[in-house]
Amino acid sequence: MGAIIKKEFKSYFLSPVGYVFIGLFLIMFSIFFYTDVVKYGSTNFEYIFYNGATILTFITPILTMRTFAEERKTGVEQLLLTSPTSITKIVLAKFIAATLIMIITEVCTLMYFGILCFFGVPHIQTALVTLLGFLLLAMAYIAFGILASSITENQIIAGVITLGFFILMWFLPSFNNIFANFSLINIFTKFPTGQIDIANTVTLITFTVMSLLLTVIFMQRRKSVR
Amino acid sequence: MIKVKNVTKKYGNFMALDDVSFEIKEGEVVGLLGPNGAGKSTTMNIITGYIEQTEGEVVVAGYDMLKKPKKAKREIGYMPEGVPLYTDLTVKEFVTYMAELKKVKGKEKKEKVEKVIKEMGLEDVQKKLIRNLSRGYKQRVSMAGALVGNPKVLILDEPTVGLDPKQVTEIRALIKQLKKKHTVIISSHILSEISQICNKVIIINKGKILAIDTPKNLENKVAHNNIIYVTVEDPENKMAGIKDKIKDLKNVKLIKENEDKTKEFMLEGKKDVDLRKSVFDKLSKEGITIFELKKADTSLEEAFIKVIEEGGKK
Repeated sequence: MGAIIKKEFKSYFLSPVGYVFIGLFLIMFSIFFYTDVVKYGSTNFEYIFYNGATILTFITPILTMRTFAEERKTGVEQLLLTSPTSITKIVLAKFIAATLIMIITEVCTLMYFGILCFFGVPHIQTALVTLLGFLLLAMAYIAFGILASSITENQIIAGVITLGFFILMWFLPSFNNIFANFSLINIFTKFPTGQIDIANTVTLITFTVMSLLLTVIFMQRRKSVR
Repeated sequence: MIKVKNVTKKYGNFMALDDVSFEIKEGEVVGLLGPNGAGKSTTMNIITGYIEQTEGEVVVAGYDMLKKPKKAKREIGYMPEGVPLYTDLTVKEFVTYMAELKKVKGKEKKEKVEKVIKEMGLEDVQKKLIRNLSRGYKQRVSMAGALVGNPKVLILDEPTVGLDPKQVTEIRALIKQLKKKHTVIISSHILSEISQICNKVIIINKGKILAIDTPKNLENKVAHNNIIYVTVEDPENKMAGIKDKIKDLKNVKLIKENEDKTKEFMLEGKKDVDLRKSVFDKLSKEGITIFELKKADTSLEEAFIKVIEEGGKK
Protein backbone atom coordinates (compact mmCIF):
# COMPACT_ATOMS: atom_id res chain seq x y z
CA MET A 1 0.00 0.00 0.00
CA GLY A 2 2.91 2.31 0.81
CA ALA A 3 4.21 1.94 -2.73
CA ILE A 4 0.88 3.06 -4.21
CA ILE A 5 0.61 6.04 -1.84
CA LYS A 6 4.14 7.11 -2.77
CA LYS A 7 3.49 6.71 -6.49
CA GLU A 8 0.10 8.48 -6.39
CA PHE A 9 1.49 11.34 -4.32
CA LYS A 10 4.39 11.74 -6.71
CA SER A 11 2.03 11.65 -9.71
CA TYR A 12 0.27 14.78 -8.44
CA PHE A 13 3.53 16.66 -8.84
CA LEU A 14 4.71 14.93 -12.03
CA SER A 15 1.62 16.39 -13.69
CA PRO A 16 0.38 19.94 -13.11
CA VAL A 17 -2.55 18.66 -10.99
CA GLY A 18 -0.89 19.07 -7.57
CA TYR A 19 0.47 22.53 -8.37
CA VAL A 20 -2.80 23.72 -9.93
CA PHE A 21 -4.83 22.49 -6.95
CA ILE A 22 -2.61 24.01 -4.26
CA GLY A 23 -1.94 27.16 -6.31
CA LEU A 24 -5.59 27.85 -7.13
CA PHE A 25 -6.64 27.23 -3.55
CA LEU A 26 -4.02 29.57 -2.12
CA ILE A 27 -4.74 32.36 -4.65
CA MET A 28 -8.45 32.27 -3.82
CA PHE A 29 -7.71 31.87 -0.12
CA SER A 30 -5.46 34.95 -0.22
CA ILE A 31 -8.26 36.98 -1.77
CA PHE A 32 -10.67 35.90 0.95
CA PHE A 33 -7.98 36.52 3.58
CA TYR A 34 -8.04 40.13 2.47
CA THR A 35 -11.82 40.52 1.96
CA ASP A 36 -12.93 38.57 5.08
CA VAL A 37 -10.22 39.40 7.62
CA VAL A 38 -7.69 42.09 6.74
CA LYS A 39 -10.29 44.50 5.39
CA TYR A 40 -12.12 44.45 8.74
CA GLY A 41 -8.97 44.53 10.85
CA SER A 42 -10.04 41.24 12.37
CA THR A 43 -7.85 38.39 13.67
CA ASN A 44 -10.49 35.70 13.13
CA PHE A 45 -8.52 33.20 11.07
CA GLU A 46 -11.54 30.83 10.92
CA TYR A 47 -13.64 33.37 8.95
CA ILE A 48 -11.65 32.68 5.77
CA PHE A 49 -12.68 29.03 5.87
CA TYR A 50 -16.36 29.73 5.18
CA ASN A 51 -15.29 30.83 1.72
CA GLY A 52 -12.46 28.28 1.83
CA ALA A 53 -15.13 25.55 1.83
CA THR A 54 -16.66 27.11 -1.30
CA ILE A 55 -13.26 27.06 -3.02
CA LEU A 56 -12.87 23.42 -2.01
CA THR A 57 -16.28 22.57 -3.48
CA PHE A 58 -15.14 23.80 -6.88
CA ILE A 59 -11.55 22.57 -6.99
CA THR A 60 -11.71 19.10 -5.37
CA PRO A 61 -12.67 17.49 -8.73
CA ILE A 62 -9.28 18.64 -10.11
CA LEU A 63 -7.63 16.44 -7.50
CA THR A 64 -9.85 13.38 -7.76
CA MET A 65 -11.19 13.08 -11.29
CA ARG A 66 -8.11 11.26 -12.59
CA THR A 67 -7.63 8.75 -9.79
CA PHE A 68 -9.29 5.70 -11.37
CA ALA A 69 -10.74 7.08 -14.63
CA GLU A 70 -7.36 7.85 -16.20
CA GLU A 71 -5.85 4.47 -15.32
CA ARG A 72 -8.91 2.70 -16.65
CA LYS A 73 -8.72 4.59 -19.93
CA THR A 74 -5.00 3.99 -20.49
CA GLY A 75 -5.21 0.38 -19.31
CA VAL A 76 -2.60 0.72 -16.56
CA GLU A 77 -5.23 -0.33 -14.05
CA GLN A 78 -4.47 -3.84 -15.32
CA LEU A 79 -1.03 -3.57 -13.75
CA LEU A 80 -2.49 -2.44 -10.45
CA LEU A 81 -5.40 -4.86 -10.32
CA THR A 82 -3.27 -7.88 -11.23
CA SER A 83 -0.75 -7.07 -8.50
CA PRO A 84 -0.97 -8.84 -5.14
CA THR A 85 -2.65 -5.82 -3.53
CA SER A 86 -6.31 -5.90 -2.54
CA ILE A 87 -8.79 -3.44 -4.05
CA THR A 88 -9.47 -2.04 -0.57
CA LYS A 89 -5.80 -1.16 -0.15
CA ILE A 90 -5.62 0.37 -3.65
CA VAL A 91 -8.65 2.59 -2.92
CA LEU A 92 -7.30 3.55 0.51
CA ALA A 93 -3.86 4.34 -0.94
CA LYS A 94 -5.32 6.68 -3.55
CA PHE A 95 -7.48 8.33 -0.88
CA ILE A 96 -4.51 8.83 1.46
CA ALA A 97 -2.36 10.31 -1.34
CA ALA A 98 -5.06 12.87 -2.21
CA THR A 99 -5.59 13.63 1.49
CA LEU A 100 -1.86 14.29 1.85
CA ILE A 101 -2.14 16.98 -0.85
CA MET A 102 -5.00 18.48 1.13
CA ILE A 103 -2.93 18.42 4.33
CA ILE A 104 -0.08 20.22 2.53
CA THR A 105 -2.60 22.81 1.35
CA GLU A 106 -3.91 23.27 4.89
CA VAL A 107 -0.40 23.58 6.26
CA CYS A 108 0.18 26.35 3.70
CA THR A 109 -2.82 28.25 5.09
CA LEU A 110 -1.00 28.45 8.44
CA MET A 111 1.09 31.29 7.01
CA TYR A 112 -2.04 33.44 7.13
CA PHE A 113 -2.43 32.43 10.78
CA GLY A 114 1.19 33.53 11.29
CA ILE A 115 0.45 36.91 9.70
CA LEU A 116 -2.54 37.37 12.01
CA CYS A 117 -0.37 36.46 15.04
CA PHE A 118 1.91 39.32 14.04
CA PHE A 119 -0.94 41.81 14.25
CA GLY A 120 -3.00 40.39 17.10
CA VAL A 121 -3.91 37.28 19.08
CA PRO A 122 -6.08 34.91 17.04
CA HIS A 123 -7.98 32.23 18.94
CA ILE A 124 -5.85 29.08 18.61
CA GLN A 125 -8.50 26.53 19.66
CA THR A 126 -11.04 27.89 17.18
CA ALA A 127 -8.43 27.87 14.45
CA LEU A 128 -7.49 24.24 15.19
CA VAL A 129 -11.12 23.06 15.28
CA THR A 130 -11.74 24.88 11.99
CA LEU A 131 -8.71 23.23 10.41
CA LEU A 132 -9.92 19.83 11.65
CA GLY A 133 -13.41 20.42 10.26
CA PHE A 134 -11.95 21.62 6.97
CA LEU A 135 -9.82 18.49 6.69
CA LEU A 136 -12.85 16.29 7.44
CA LEU A 137 -14.85 18.12 4.76
CA ALA A 138 -11.98 17.75 2.29
CA MET A 139 -11.74 14.03 3.07
CA ALA A 140 -15.45 13.59 2.45
CA TYR A 141 -15.15 15.50 -0.83
CA ILE A 142 -12.08 13.51 -1.90
CA ALA A 143 -13.77 10.18 -1.07
CA PHE A 144 -16.77 11.11 -3.20
CA GLY A 145 -14.51 12.36 -6.01
CA ILE A 146 -12.70 9.00 -6.01
CA LEU A 147 -16.03 7.19 -6.10
CA ALA A 148 -17.08 9.23 -9.15
CA SER A 149 -13.75 8.49 -10.82
CA SER A 150 -14.21 4.76 -10.28
CA ILE A 151 -17.47 4.60 -12.21
CA THR A 152 -16.30 6.10 -15.49
CA GLU A 153 -13.24 6.02 -17.68
CA ASN A 154 -13.68 9.63 -18.71
CA GLN A 155 -12.07 11.96 -16.19
CA ILE A 156 -14.12 14.95 -17.38
CA ILE A 157 -17.33 13.05 -16.67
CA ALA A 158 -15.92 12.06 -13.27
CA GLY A 159 -15.18 15.73 -12.56
CA VAL A 160 -18.63 16.86 -13.66
CA ILE A 161 -20.36 14.20 -11.52
CA THR A 162 -18.30 15.27 -8.51
CA LEU A 163 -18.92 18.98 -8.98
CA GLY A 164 -22.61 18.44 -9.77
CA PHE A 165 -23.08 16.42 -6.61
CA PHE A 166 -21.30 19.00 -4.43
CA ILE A 167 -23.35 21.86 -5.86
CA LEU A 168 -26.54 19.84 -5.35
CA MET A 169 -25.59 19.24 -1.73
CA TRP A 170 -24.77 22.90 -1.33
CA PHE A 171 -28.23 23.99 -2.44
CA LEU A 172 -30.14 21.15 -0.77
CA PRO A 173 -31.08 23.24 2.32
CA SER A 174 -32.69 25.85 0.01
CA PHE A 175 -35.28 23.27 -1.07
CA ASN A 176 -36.15 21.98 2.36
CA ASN A 177 -34.63 22.59 5.77
CA ILE A 178 -34.56 18.84 6.51
CA PHE A 179 -31.76 18.53 3.94
CA ALA A 180 -29.58 20.93 5.90
CA ASN A 181 -28.32 17.98 7.93
CA PHE A 182 -27.14 16.24 4.76
CA SER A 183 -25.40 19.21 3.19
CA LEU A 184 -21.67 18.66 3.75
CA ILE A 185 -20.78 22.35 3.40
CA ASN A 186 -23.57 23.19 5.83
CA ILE A 187 -22.24 20.68 8.31
CA PHE A 188 -18.77 22.20 8.05
CA THR A 189 -20.00 25.69 8.91
CA LYS A 190 -20.49 24.54 12.53
CA PHE A 191 -16.73 23.98 12.99
CA PRO A 192 -15.54 27.62 12.75
CA THR A 193 -17.57 28.31 15.91
CA GLY A 194 -14.72 26.58 17.74
CA GLN A 195 -16.61 23.62 19.11
CA ILE A 196 -16.33 20.06 17.93
CA ASP A 197 -19.82 18.79 17.32
CA ILE A 198 -19.80 14.99 17.58
CA ALA A 199 -22.84 14.53 15.30
CA ASN A 200 -21.28 16.65 12.53
CA THR A 201 -17.91 14.98 12.88
CA VAL A 202 -19.50 11.54 12.69
CA THR A 203 -21.57 12.57 9.66
CA LEU A 204 -18.50 13.71 7.72
CA ILE A 205 -16.53 10.59 8.67
CA THR A 206 -19.48 8.33 7.82
CA PHE A 207 -19.86 10.00 4.42
CA THR A 208 -16.15 9.46 3.76
CA VAL A 209 -16.23 5.79 4.79
CA MET A 210 -19.42 5.13 2.82
CA SER A 211 -17.97 6.68 -0.34
CA LEU A 212 -14.77 4.64 -0.03
CA LEU A 213 -16.75 1.50 0.67
CA LEU A 214 -18.92 2.08 -2.40
CA THR A 215 -15.75 2.61 -4.47
CA VAL A 216 -14.41 -0.75 -3.29
CA ILE A 217 -17.77 -2.41 -4.10
CA PHE A 218 -17.88 -0.82 -7.58
CA MET A 219 -14.31 -1.88 -8.32
CA GLN A 220 -14.97 -5.38 -7.04
CA ARG A 221 -18.16 -5.64 -9.06
CA ARG A 222 -16.42 -4.49 -12.21
CA LYS A 223 -14.21 -7.57 -11.97
CA SER A 224 -17.20 -9.76 -12.71
CA VAL A 225 -18.87 -7.57 -15.36
CA ARG A 226 -15.74 -6.27 -17.11
CA MET B 1 1.64 -24.78 -12.75
CA ILE B 2 -1.64 -23.45 -14.19
CA LYS B 3 -4.94 -25.28 -14.05
CA VAL B 4 -7.99 -23.86 -15.78
CA LYS B 5 -10.98 -26.04 -15.02
CA ASN B 6 -14.42 -25.67 -16.63
CA VAL B 7 -14.11 -21.89 -16.81
CA THR B 8 -17.10 -20.03 -18.21
CA LYS B 9 -17.41 -16.29 -18.63
CA LYS B 10 -20.75 -14.76 -19.51
CA TYR B 11 -21.66 -11.16 -20.28
CA GLY B 12 -25.44 -11.24 -20.09
CA ASN B 13 -26.41 -13.78 -22.73
CA PHE B 14 -23.08 -13.58 -24.50
CA MET B 15 -20.75 -16.46 -23.74
CA ALA B 16 -17.16 -15.15 -23.90
CA LEU B 17 -15.70 -18.42 -22.61
CA ASP B 18 -17.57 -21.69 -22.68
CA ASP B 19 -16.39 -24.44 -20.35
CA VAL B 20 -12.70 -23.92 -21.02
CA SER B 21 -10.28 -26.39 -19.42
CA PHE B 22 -6.55 -26.89 -19.84
CA GLU B 23 -3.45 -27.48 -17.81
CA ILE B 24 0.02 -26.03 -18.23
CA LYS B 25 2.99 -27.75 -16.65
CA GLU B 26 6.01 -26.06 -15.13
CA GLY B 27 8.51 -24.85 -17.74
CA GLU B 28 6.09 -25.11 -20.66
CA VAL B 29 5.74 -22.29 -23.17
CA VAL B 30 2.19 -22.23 -24.40
CA GLY B 31 0.80 -20.22 -27.26
CA LEU B 32 -2.80 -19.08 -27.15
CA LEU B 33 -4.07 -18.79 -30.71
CA GLY B 34 -7.36 -17.57 -32.03
CA PRO B 35 -8.95 -14.97 -34.28
CA ASN B 36 -9.97 -11.58 -32.92
CA GLY B 37 -12.68 -11.87 -30.27
CA ALA B 38 -11.97 -15.57 -29.75
CA GLY B 39 -11.51 -15.24 -26.00
CA LYS B 40 -7.70 -15.15 -25.74
CA SER B 41 -7.49 -11.94 -23.72
CA THR B 42 -10.49 -12.96 -21.59
CA THR B 43 -8.68 -16.21 -20.75
CA MET B 44 -5.52 -14.32 -19.86
CA ASN B 45 -7.41 -11.74 -17.83
CA ILE B 46 -9.07 -14.49 -15.82
CA ILE B 47 -5.78 -16.29 -15.18
CA THR B 48 -4.19 -13.04 -13.97
CA GLY B 49 -7.16 -12.23 -11.73
CA TYR B 50 -8.01 -9.02 -13.59
CA ILE B 51 -11.53 -10.29 -14.19
CA GLU B 52 -13.52 -13.01 -12.52
CA GLN B 53 -14.97 -16.04 -14.22
CA THR B 54 -18.70 -16.70 -14.01
CA GLU B 55 -18.06 -20.37 -13.27
CA GLY B 56 -15.08 -22.66 -12.93
CA GLU B 57 -11.73 -22.67 -11.25
CA VAL B 58 -8.31 -21.20 -11.94
CA VAL B 59 -5.32 -22.42 -9.95
CA VAL B 60 -1.91 -20.78 -10.36
CA ALA B 61 1.14 -22.34 -8.67
CA GLY B 62 -1.17 -24.22 -6.34
CA TYR B 63 -3.26 -21.19 -5.32
CA ASP B 64 -6.89 -20.73 -6.31
CA MET B 65 -7.25 -17.30 -7.92
CA LEU B 66 -10.59 -16.60 -6.22
CA LYS B 67 -9.75 -17.98 -2.79
CA LYS B 68 -6.12 -16.89 -2.46
CA PRO B 69 -5.71 -14.07 -5.00
CA LYS B 70 -2.73 -12.40 -3.31
CA LYS B 71 -0.61 -15.54 -3.29
CA ALA B 72 -1.65 -16.52 -6.79
CA LYS B 73 -0.97 -13.03 -8.19
CA ARG B 74 2.46 -12.96 -6.59
CA GLU B 75 3.46 -15.85 -8.86
CA ILE B 76 2.37 -14.07 -12.05
CA GLY B 77 4.14 -11.54 -14.22
CA TYR B 78 1.70 -9.97 -16.67
CA MET B 79 2.36 -7.96 -19.78
CA PRO B 80 -1.05 -6.71 -20.93
CA GLU B 81 -2.07 -6.11 -24.53
CA GLY B 82 -1.22 -2.63 -25.80
CA VAL B 83 1.61 -2.21 -23.27
CA PRO B 84 -0.04 0.11 -20.74
CA LEU B 85 2.63 1.96 -18.75
CA TYR B 86 2.93 4.91 -16.37
CA THR B 87 4.45 7.19 -18.97
CA ASP B 88 5.30 9.97 -16.53
CA LEU B 89 7.74 7.71 -14.69
CA THR B 90 11.29 6.89 -15.72
CA VAL B 91 12.12 3.30 -16.67
CA LYS B 92 13.83 2.65 -13.34
CA GLU B 93 11.01 4.26 -11.34
CA PHE B 94 8.46 2.11 -13.16
CA VAL B 95 10.33 -1.16 -12.67
CA THR B 96 10.93 -0.26 -8.99
CA TYR B 97 7.20 0.49 -8.57
CA MET B 98 6.29 -2.85 -10.13
CA ALA B 99 8.74 -4.56 -7.75
CA GLU B 100 7.14 -2.78 -4.80
CA LEU B 101 3.67 -3.80 -5.98
CA LYS B 102 4.91 -7.39 -5.97
CA LYS B 103 6.13 -6.92 -2.39
CA VAL B 104 9.82 -7.18 -3.21
CA LYS B 105 11.51 -5.29 -0.41
CA GLY B 106 14.76 -3.69 0.74
CA LYS B 107 18.10 -4.75 -0.64
CA GLU B 108 16.52 -7.52 -2.69
CA LYS B 109 14.37 -4.92 -4.48
CA LYS B 110 17.37 -2.89 -5.62
CA GLU B 111 19.19 -6.01 -6.80
CA LYS B 112 16.20 -7.42 -8.67
CA VAL B 113 15.37 -4.12 -10.35
CA GLU B 114 18.95 -3.68 -11.55
CA LYS B 115 19.11 -7.30 -12.73
CA VAL B 116 15.92 -7.10 -14.75
CA ILE B 117 16.91 -3.74 -16.27
CA LYS B 118 20.18 -5.33 -17.38
CA GLU B 119 18.50 -8.47 -18.70
CA MET B 120 16.06 -6.46 -20.77
CA GLY B 121 18.79 -4.23 -22.18
CA LEU B 122 17.36 -1.09 -20.61
CA GLU B 123 20.48 0.19 -18.87
CA ASP B 124 21.01 3.05 -21.33
CA VAL B 125 17.46 4.35 -21.02
CA GLN B 126 16.76 3.65 -17.34
CA LYS B 127 16.70 7.35 -16.45
CA LYS B 128 14.52 8.33 -19.42
CA LEU B 129 10.82 9.06 -19.09
CA ILE B 130 8.81 6.16 -20.54
CA ARG B 131 6.75 8.55 -22.70
CA ASN B 132 9.90 9.42 -24.65
CA LEU B 133 10.80 5.83 -25.53
CA SER B 134 10.21 4.01 -28.80
CA ARG B 135 7.56 1.31 -29.02
CA GLY B 136 10.21 -1.41 -28.90
CA TYR B 137 11.69 -0.05 -25.69
CA LYS B 138 8.23 0.37 -24.17
CA GLN B 139 7.62 -3.30 -24.89
CA ARG B 140 10.85 -4.17 -23.08
CA VAL B 141 9.90 -1.95 -20.14
CA SER B 142 6.54 -3.68 -19.90
CA MET B 143 8.29 -7.04 -19.98
CA ALA B 144 10.73 -5.87 -17.30
CA GLY B 145 7.72 -4.92 -15.14
CA ALA B 146 6.30 -8.40 -15.62
CA LEU B 147 9.62 -10.09 -14.88
CA VAL B 148 10.69 -8.21 -11.78
CA GLY B 149 10.13 -10.25 -8.66
CA ASN B 150 10.99 -13.42 -10.59
CA PRO B 151 7.42 -14.76 -10.98
CA LYS B 152 6.99 -18.43 -11.83
CA VAL B 153 4.40 -17.68 -14.51
CA LEU B 154 4.72 -15.11 -17.28
CA ILE B 155 1.69 -14.06 -19.27
CA LEU B 156 2.37 -12.06 -22.40
CA ASP B 157 -0.60 -10.71 -24.34
CA GLU B 158 0.35 -9.95 -27.95
CA PRO B 159 3.95 -9.12 -27.08
CA THR B 160 5.10 -8.16 -30.59
CA VAL B 161 2.14 -6.18 -31.91
CA GLY B 162 3.09 -2.83 -33.40
CA LEU B 163 6.81 -3.51 -33.56
CA ASP B 164 9.04 -3.23 -36.59
CA PRO B 165 10.69 -6.46 -37.85
CA LYS B 166 13.97 -5.77 -36.03
CA GLN B 167 12.18 -5.15 -32.74
CA VAL B 168 10.06 -8.28 -33.27
CA THR B 169 13.23 -10.35 -33.63
CA GLU B 170 14.66 -8.79 -30.47
CA ILE B 171 11.53 -9.41 -28.40
CA ARG B 172 11.31 -13.00 -29.65
CA ALA B 173 14.93 -13.56 -28.66
CA LEU B 174 14.11 -12.20 -25.19
CA ILE B 175 11.12 -14.53 -24.85
CA LYS B 176 13.25 -17.48 -25.90
CA GLN B 177 15.62 -16.67 -23.04
CA LEU B 178 12.75 -16.42 -20.59
CA LYS B 179 11.42 -19.87 -21.30
CA LYS B 180 14.40 -21.40 -19.51
CA LYS B 181 13.27 -20.01 -16.15
CA HIS B 182 9.53 -19.44 -16.38
CA THR B 183 6.28 -21.03 -17.41
CA VAL B 184 5.07 -18.77 -20.21
CA ILE B 185 1.72 -18.15 -21.89
CA ILE B 186 1.78 -16.04 -25.05
CA SER B 187 -1.14 -14.92 -27.11
CA SER B 188 -0.37 -13.90 -30.64
CA HIS B 189 -1.82 -13.54 -34.10
CA ILE B 190 1.54 -14.32 -35.65
CA LEU B 191 1.58 -18.06 -36.10
CA SER B 192 5.22 -18.34 -37.13
CA GLU B 193 6.06 -16.70 -33.83
CA ILE B 194 4.09 -19.27 -31.86
CA SER B 195 5.56 -22.16 -33.83
CA GLN B 196 9.09 -20.84 -33.19
CA ILE B 197 8.73 -20.15 -29.49
CA CYS B 198 6.08 -22.44 -28.03
CA ASN B 199 6.11 -26.12 -27.26
CA LYS B 200 2.33 -26.30 -26.93
CA VAL B 201 -0.51 -24.50 -28.69
CA ILE B 202 -4.05 -23.90 -27.53
CA ILE B 203 -6.41 -22.92 -30.34
CA ILE B 204 -9.48 -21.07 -29.16
CA ASN B 205 -12.43 -19.67 -31.08
CA LYS B 206 -15.78 -18.26 -30.00
CA GLY B 207 -14.92 -19.00 -26.39
CA LYS B 208 -14.26 -22.68 -26.95
CA ILE B 209 -11.04 -24.63 -27.03
CA LEU B 210 -10.69 -26.32 -30.42
CA ALA B 211 -7.29 -27.95 -30.07
CA ILE B 212 -4.45 -28.39 -27.59
CA ASP B 213 -1.30 -29.91 -29.04
CA THR B 214 2.31 -29.30 -30.01
CA PRO B 215 2.84 -27.11 -33.11
CA LYS B 216 4.42 -30.12 -34.86
CA ASN B 217 1.44 -32.40 -34.22
CA LEU B 218 -0.98 -29.73 -35.36
CA GLU B 219 0.98 -29.29 -38.56
CA ASN B 220 1.07 -33.06 -39.12
CA LYS B 221 -2.70 -33.26 -38.80
CA VAL B 222 -3.08 -31.18 -41.93
CA ALA B 223 0.00 -32.56 -43.72
CA HIS B 224 -0.60 -32.85 -47.44
CA ASN B 225 -0.77 -36.30 -48.95
CA ASN B 226 2.82 -36.59 -49.98
CA ILE B 227 3.05 -33.76 -52.44
CA ILE B 228 6.24 -32.50 -54.05
CA TYR B 229 6.78 -29.49 -56.27
CA VAL B 230 9.24 -29.72 -59.12
CA THR B 231 10.45 -27.04 -61.51
CA VAL B 232 11.87 -28.45 -64.75
CA GLU B 233 13.08 -27.52 -68.20
CA ASP B 234 11.01 -29.75 -70.48
CA PRO B 235 10.92 -28.47 -74.08
CA GLU B 236 9.82 -31.85 -75.45
CA ASN B 237 6.95 -32.09 -73.03
CA LYS B 238 8.04 -35.39 -71.57
CA MET B 239 6.43 -34.64 -68.25
CA ALA B 240 3.05 -35.53 -69.76
CA GLY B 241 3.89 -39.20 -69.72
CA ILE B 242 5.87 -39.31 -66.52
CA LYS B 243 2.92 -40.50 -64.42
CA ASP B 244 3.08 -44.01 -65.95
CA LYS B 245 6.82 -44.23 -65.52
CA ILE B 246 7.02 -43.70 -61.76
CA LYS B 247 5.40 -46.47 -59.74
CA ASP B 248 4.04 -44.59 -56.73
CA LEU B 249 3.00 -41.44 -58.57
CA LYS B 250 -0.74 -40.79 -58.39
CA ASN B 251 -1.12 -37.46 -60.09
CA VAL B 252 0.84 -34.86 -62.08
CA LYS B 253 -0.42 -31.32 -62.46
CA LEU B 254 1.14 -28.35 -64.23
CA ILE B 255 0.99 -25.36 -61.93
CA LYS B 256 2.64 -22.65 -63.99
CA GLU B 257 4.96 -21.90 -66.83
CA ASN B 258 7.71 -19.51 -65.91
CA GLU B 259 9.19 -16.75 -68.06
CA ASP B 260 12.49 -18.62 -68.34
CA LYS B 261 10.57 -21.44 -70.06
CA THR B 262 10.75 -23.72 -67.05
CA LYS B 263 7.55 -25.33 -65.78
CA GLU B 264 6.41 -26.00 -62.26
CA PHE B 265 4.56 -29.25 -61.57
CA MET B 266 2.83 -30.63 -58.54
CA LEU B 267 3.37 -34.36 -58.13
CA GLU B 268 1.16 -36.31 -55.75
CA GLY B 269 2.39 -39.71 -54.59
CA LYS B 270 0.86 -42.53 -52.63
CA LYS B 271 0.79 -42.05 -48.89
CA ASP B 272 3.97 -42.68 -46.87
CA VAL B 273 6.19 -42.88 -49.95
CA ASP B 274 9.01 -40.38 -50.41
CA LEU B 275 8.81 -39.56 -54.08
CA ARG B 276 11.83 -37.31 -54.22
CA LYS B 277 14.45 -39.97 -55.02
CA SER B 278 12.46 -41.79 -57.71
CA VAL B 279 11.40 -38.51 -59.32
CA PHE B 280 14.96 -37.23 -59.35
CA ASP B 281 16.31 -40.47 -60.90
CA LYS B 282 13.54 -40.82 -63.46
CA LEU B 283 13.55 -37.23 -64.67
CA SER B 284 17.33 -37.34 -65.08
CA LYS B 285 17.06 -40.49 -67.11
CA GLU B 286 14.36 -38.92 -69.29
CA GLY B 287 16.60 -35.93 -69.96
CA ILE B 288 14.40 -33.52 -68.06
CA THR B 289 16.52 -30.93 -66.29
CA ILE B 290 15.46 -30.30 -62.70
CA PHE B 291 15.80 -26.72 -61.52
CA GLU B 292 14.08 -27.19 -58.17
CA LEU B 293 12.55 -30.05 -56.24
CA LYS B 294 10.87 -29.62 -52.87
CA LYS B 295 8.42 -31.31 -50.58
CA ALA B 296 5.22 -29.34 -49.88
CA ASP B 297 5.42 -27.53 -46.56
CA THR B 298 2.66 -27.61 -44.03
CA SER B 299 2.51 -24.72 -41.64
CA LEU B 300 0.90 -23.98 -38.34
CA GLU B 301 -1.05 -21.35 -40.24
CA GLU B 302 -2.76 -24.03 -42.34
CA ALA B 303 -3.37 -26.13 -39.23
CA PHE B 304 -4.86 -23.11 -37.50
CA ILE B 305 -7.21 -22.29 -40.37
CA LYS B 306 -8.29 -25.92 -40.68
CA VAL B 307 -8.98 -26.28 -36.95
CA ILE B 308 -10.93 -23.01 -36.88
CA GLU B 309 -12.96 -24.01 -39.96
CA GLU B 310 -13.73 -27.44 -38.57
CA GLY B 311 -14.69 -25.85 -35.26
CA GLY B 312 -17.04 -23.49 -37.10
CA LYS B 313 -18.82 -26.38 -38.86
CA LYS B 314 -19.59 -28.19 -35.61
